[in-house]
Amino acid sequence: MTAAGTLTGATCPACGAPVEAGDGFCESCGTELSPPVVSTGAPGYVPECPVCSVDPSSPPGGITADGYCESCGRKVPTGRDHAELDLGPLAGVTDRGLRHQRNEDAMALASAQTPSGPVAIAVVCDGVSSSPRPDDASLAGARAAVQVLLAAARRDEDPAEASLAAVHEAHEALRRLGTPSQAPSATYVSAVIDAAAVTVCWLGDSRAYWLAESGAIRLTTDDSVAEELVAQGSLTEAAALASPQAHVITGWLGADLAWPQPHLRRFEPPGPGVVLVCSDGLWNYRPEAADLADLALPAALTDRLGAAGTLLKFALDAGGMDNITVVLAPFPLARPQTLPRRTAQ
Amino acid sequence: MTQSGFTVDVDQNQYLPEGGRDVSAIVTVTSSADAAGVHSAAAGTPASAEIIIIDCSGSMEYPHTKIAEARAATAAAIDVVRDGVWFSVIAGTNTAWPVFPPDGSMAIADVSSRAAARQAVTGLRASGGTAIGQWLSLARQIFGAYPAQLRHAILLTDGKNQHETPDQLQAALRECEGVFSCDCRGVGTDWEVGELRTISAALLGTVDIVPDPSGLAADFAAMMRSAMGKQVADVALRVWTPQHATLRFVKQVAPTVDDLTARRTPSGPQAGDYPTGAWGPGESRDYHVGVEVNPAGVGLEMLAARISLVAGPPSAAELLGQGLVRAIWTDDEALSTKINPLVAHYTGQAELADAIQEGLEARKQGNEEVATAKLGRAVALARESGNEDTAKLLAKVVDVVDAETGTVRLKKKVEDVDEMALDTRSTKTVRVKKAQS
Repeated sequence: MTAAGTLTGATCPACGAPVEAGDGFCESCGTELSPPVVSTGAPGYVPECPVCSVDPSSPPGGITADGYCESCGRKVPTGRDHAELDLGPLAGVTDRGLRHQRNEDAMALASAQTPSGPVAIAVVCDGVSSSPRPDDASLAGARAAVQVLLAAARRDEDPAEASLAAVHEAHEALRRLGTPSQAPSATYVSAVIDAAAVTVCWLGDSRAYWLAESGAIRLTTDDSVAEELVAQGSLTEAAALASPQAHVITGWLGADLAWPQPHLRRFEPPGPGVVLVCSDGLWNYRPEAADLADLALPAALTDRLGAAGTLLKFALDAGGMDNITVVLAPFPLARPQTLPRRTAQ
Repeated sequence: MTQSGFTVDVDQNQYLPEGGRDVSAIVTVTSSADAAGVHSAAAGTPASAEIIIIDCSGSMEYPHTKIAEARAATAAAIDVVRDGVWFSVIAGTNTAWPVFPPDGSMAIADVSSRAAARQAVTGLRASGGTAIGQWLSLARQIFGAYPAQLRHAILLTDGKNQHETPDQLQAALRECEGVFSCDCRGVGTDWEVGELRTISAALLGTVDIVPDPSGLAADFAAMMRSAMGKQVADVALRVWTPQHATLRFVKQVAPTVDDLTARRTPSGPQAGDYPTGAWGPGESRDYHVGVEVNPAGVGLEMLAARISLVAGPPSAAELLGQGLVRAIWTDDEALSTKINPLVAHYTGQAELADAIQEGLEARKQGNEEVATAKLGRAVALARESGNEDTAKLLAKVVDVVDAETGTVRLKKKVEDVDEMALDTRSTKTVRVKKAQS
């Protein structure tokens, strides 16, 4: 998809009526002009069996309505296996990785023009593999949260309050998917980048980082056994991550948790840089902010999608043990040069 | 309950350890209490046909009450045949002949045809040998001339199949498979349990012992009532498995153990049909399906089997219900080592049946050590699973010292009837209450 118009003289993609750059909705037909985008895969994606489609000796098999290969019985991946989202100012990529059969990560991005300037929104959820339907859980959480955050941004509301409302809405969406004994679950991290600050809200071990030439820091602390051991001073970070308990998380969204306790942080960047929001499929291989900055900069300052692809390739080359999701957004936000577009392969 | 009137439920542990191959599931098929009538019966055509096959070999005269009770039982069964159902009665010795209608046709049941049939049966006399294959072949010929969907026979014998070879019986059975179902009854203690079990299993019917001829009439009437209740004919389990997978077994495990593995008829790519016979309303049966799959990596999911319940001819089968058997590989041992309670229960019930049959065989061969071990194991399994009927039958064959550990002593003197009852009913299982999931 190409840009439907420039900032001046932009038109509604649905009805062609002229629209203002800051409008959330077309004044003429009501179409949402900059809707949030979610990593559900490209429209028209045709699933095919990853095993039989590359095996010449295997008979050509269809995919059943319930998503299995008619020949080998393999659960066939959906369009979520690899998805790229590019909203101009911010961009992200999510990938199945090399070891998991499906991508249980999900991301949702949005951008808005507000009276106080542009706002970029990113939500990343990582489905908890030991829970039922973790892929549905992450998608439901990301989708519910981004809508709350975008609506609040358009109304110029306080990003901290909006972030708490969004994680609450995401939790409600997951509760509706299950019961306390059968609870689809996911981690959660959101970042709202506006003219003044970066507001981060999280639960679990998906992370946000600030990456800049002047210095890189991690913005989140994990709800995980490993992090608690480090906090107690009983283990170094490297030792904690090497322990078998490293990935046991102590916070998540799901119907088995009545009162999730999300964390909130407001960060005012000292200068220009990029915000990285990611799942543990990336940071497992480079937990240190400075190391991630080395990988992402300076490309991420100008080409977010390209830099996200670089980080993804790094994680895949390092083993791709888990699903990988990488979202990058600059600070300060450049004014968007194109209307939203979405690509996937 | 689905529109078809059937439900198919699958109970399993879908998690396998890394490299795990064996997937095991219990499939519960239930028909609703008010199932819609027999499928696509042509208007005005009786959908059911019944044949009663009575042993008239010479031994039926010893004691004389045997043939008299058999006549009375046949009359009792005839009385239960519903108006409009085709029926006939066959007598069997070392040959077989139609008793009613005497021309080898089938009569349509009504007040006068039932009376005529009862009258014809009073003329049955016992003399001659036993060639059960001949009896079944005649029944098959008679059934073959009538387009009924539900074809059912009741077979009574009091002796061994002495006047034909086992091969002749097998050949006749093969021709009858799929043509009609047959409930078998042995009266007295001179018949062979294994022989009748082979016939009832091949023809998807029940088998039981009627020790005292005076019990025949009530049993025959009950069997015929059950047959009259059947509404959906030729129901099969259609099992699809993935490429490179092996379907290790398909067994009915409730109400009785019945191995269907060898009964597979190919029904499409990677799929085969296993017959379950006819179903009446409110019936529920359990099946144990074992599949060996090629392992996939940790985190991957595979459909290990798709179980479809189908009715009618393979070319135009109607889908009545469906269940999925899944395999998901995990490195979480807490998940992969969990034993599914239903799978464990029915594995035990199948072992119970085997232990009884092998124990009784060893006892017959004079191998007391094996007999004591096997029957002891059976006592422990029956106790553990709460199969009280089987436990009672076992207690007539062995002295139970400690049921929990299966410590038993073989009884010095065992009545033939007790041994045969235990053997015949060894495949009866009990169900467990399903675990809340």
